[in-house]
Amino acid sequence: MRSGGQPIPRVEERRSFLKKGLLGGLILAIGGVGFLASRRSRLAPLPPQGLRVLDPSEYAVVMAIAARMVPGGEGFPSVQEVGVGLNADGILVRTDPAAAKEVKQLLKLFENALAGFIFSARIRPFTQLPPEEQDQVLEEWQSSRLEIRRTGFTALRTLVLASYFGSPLSWPAVHYPGPPPGFHQPDAPVWRGGGEKRPDGNGVFHPEASND
Amino acid sequence: MTEGRIYTGEEVRGGQQLQCDVCVVGSGAGGSVLAHELVSRGLQVVMLEEGGYHTRREFDLQESKAFPNLYQELGNRTTDDLSITILQGRSIGGGTTVNWCSSFRTPKRILDHWRDVHRVDGLSEDVLRPHWEAIEKRLHIAEWPEERMNRNNRVLWDGCGKLGYSRGLIPRNVNNCADLGYCGVGCPIDAKQSMLATMIPDAVEKGLTVYANASARRLRIEGRKVAAVEVDVLDAESRRSSGRTLTVRPKVAAVCGGALNSPALLLRSGLTAHGRVGKRTFLHPVVITVADFDEPVEAFSGAPQSVHSHHFIERGPEKMGFFIEVPPIHPMLGAITLSGFGIHYQRFLSRLPYVNACIALIVDGLLPGEEGGTVGLRAQGDGRLKIRYPLTEPHWEAFRTACKEMARIQFAAGAKTVVTLHSPPLLMRSVDEISKLDSAPWEKLRVRVVTAHQMGGCSMGKDPSTSVVDNRLRYHELDNLFVVDGSVFPTSLGVNPQESIFGIARWAAQHVAAAV
Repeated sequence: MRSGGQPIPRVEERRSFLKKGLLGGLILAIGGVGFLASRRSRLAPLPPQGLRVLDPSEYAVVMAIAARMVPGGEGFPSVQEVGVGLNADGILVRTDPAAAKEVKQLLKLFENALAGFIFSARIRPFTQLPPEEQDQVLEEWQSSRLEIRRTGFTALRTLVLASYFGSPLSWPAVHYPGPPPGFHQPDAPVWRGGGEKRPDGNGVFHPEASND
Repeated sequence: MTEGRIYTGEEVRGGQQLQCDVCVVGSGAGGSVLAHELVSRGLQVVMLEEGGYHTRREFDLQESKAFPNLYQELGNRTTDDLSITILQGRSIGGGTTVNWCSSFRTPKRILDHWRDVHRVDGLSEDVLRPHWEAIEKRLHIAEWPEERMNRNNRVLWDGCGKLGYSRGLIPRNVNNCADLGYCGVGCPIDAKQSMLATMIPDAVEKGLTVYANASARRLRIEGRKVAAVEVDVLDAESRRSSGRTLTVRPKVAAVCGGALNSPALLLRSGLTAHGRVGKRTFLHPVVITVADFDEPVEAFSGAPQSVHSHHFIERGPEKMGFFIEVPPIHPMLGAITLSGFGIHYQRFLSRLPYVNACIALIVDGLLPGEEGGTVGLRAQGDGRLKIRYPLTEPHWEAFRTACKEMARIQFAAGAKTVVTLHSPPLLMRSVDEISKLDSAPWEKLRVRVVTAHQMGGCSMGKDPSTSVVDNRLRYHELDNLFVVDGSVFPTSLGVNPQESIFGIARWAAQHVAAAV
């Protein structure tokens, strides 16, 4: 899936994926945004809790990428069972707004095959591809000689994996027993000073005590 | 002496104006030790921390909660091109709240190098030793005993032993440690002697006032002085600006935000030191190999770091040295750090209890002409930093050699397979396959590079044309501004940095106090 002929502008090392002048020019070159918008995402059922950052198309792309990254089976729950898309939405709520916006743009870019169209023959959105072709797209982005694609792959992969493996639902599959019980004290006092006596504990220095 | 107080964002009214002797920006290793020394001298100190006040009450040992609360950018801070993942703390206690407790004094050869090459005067082992000793006593720093080493560390220990590579036990700042292995997500029992658990409350008892959720945006400069520190009060939940501000008018300001954040604050304040601010940023860039064993390793359990090898720390005048340790491996960070995707990747992850990882930390900044990375600002309204770190031929040579040596160590310790973090990963089934590493793709974004130690960006030194602060850590061009944290180091250290930062901060306190 390599381009024929088109000289690819040298991309600066930046996180911003919709750099003015690069993609603006490319969109014009293929007849405007209308062409791309006409290709619809294959949507995924939305979580009942609703979404706060991702729109339904972006959500579908997250779930589609996640399903290829962690295909499930062999003890691994599906991305639906883990709620990867909802978890990703939750992460983006807490992310710096400029970074979250870039992730949304990147998801649209990945889905709309803009890069794919310009640099290869693929014209279907990612979510409409069969799994084997989705894997090919991901592999191409992972090893691409275009830095911007490797950067995009890394960003999406991190979001998807944090959304999957941050969930305790994933732990049995990796034989992780969870944190040791009995140490976290959810009612531990939060000391703020202001004349209140500091609670004793391991952080208080007792000069006469010997080292462990 | 009236006792101090820790305030969080919602307690701060808009438009508050504070006066004090010293304003300390940042509550990490440098800021906390400095603040404690200053209040111990009877000075009135206000400390500002942009992160939240998170304590053991919240430390439920879950990665999904810890990374958003305790790390910069949810644990996803990176260089601009995403080629290097930056793990950096962000909360009361800074990096010390989430580090893995390794404590080393600054190596003599590094201090000598700073003296000889970077015109750093007056900073020797003799000068720093009493400070290290005081810190080591207060923080219970002691070698973790060999018999308590977990299996993940034992791989490094045994492998080095078999190959005749030098190895040592790591001193840790812990008190009544329960050997859990969750230092990186906040110690639930305050056994880790982080600044959060020790020096900050010690200082608050002596009068320190701390504001969490308080992001210092700019230093207002009038003539040769910092007149005020302008602060954005953040909402604790969303971490975004609440719209309320705070102004601190100190006699002296000490910037202690750490490498990356300290240079950024200076730049936002128009302080560039003739282009030196934000230059010479060093990262101890890390490469990793992961080994699979027949017997359980359980790298998610037990004191995370207790063994080090400095066998390769000096490799000749044109090569970058490296030191080797191990990281803990928990599901989320482990899955993200490991390379690849799909069914094979998934199967490898199911081997979690059987894998060991080794990390090699490259010692950057020592080669002649080595410039390191840069920190800059982005467009107005975008709070993220511009962080660039060029990976050069000596880096790639060091990464390649380090991966070979770590694989050798892992096979010597009985590993069945060793995998690299290339994208896609490279698998070795025996020592004989280590040479495959020569043809692996050694280029950025093709192999995972991580940093957990950030240094430099406000280098110290006598010469203002090559440094940002002088040999007392005072910003060259102003009378009442100091930088007291890891950003003053002219090179990286070749050891985990926290104790070096504690030491230099404790030493620098006398100079900051004298300026009041």
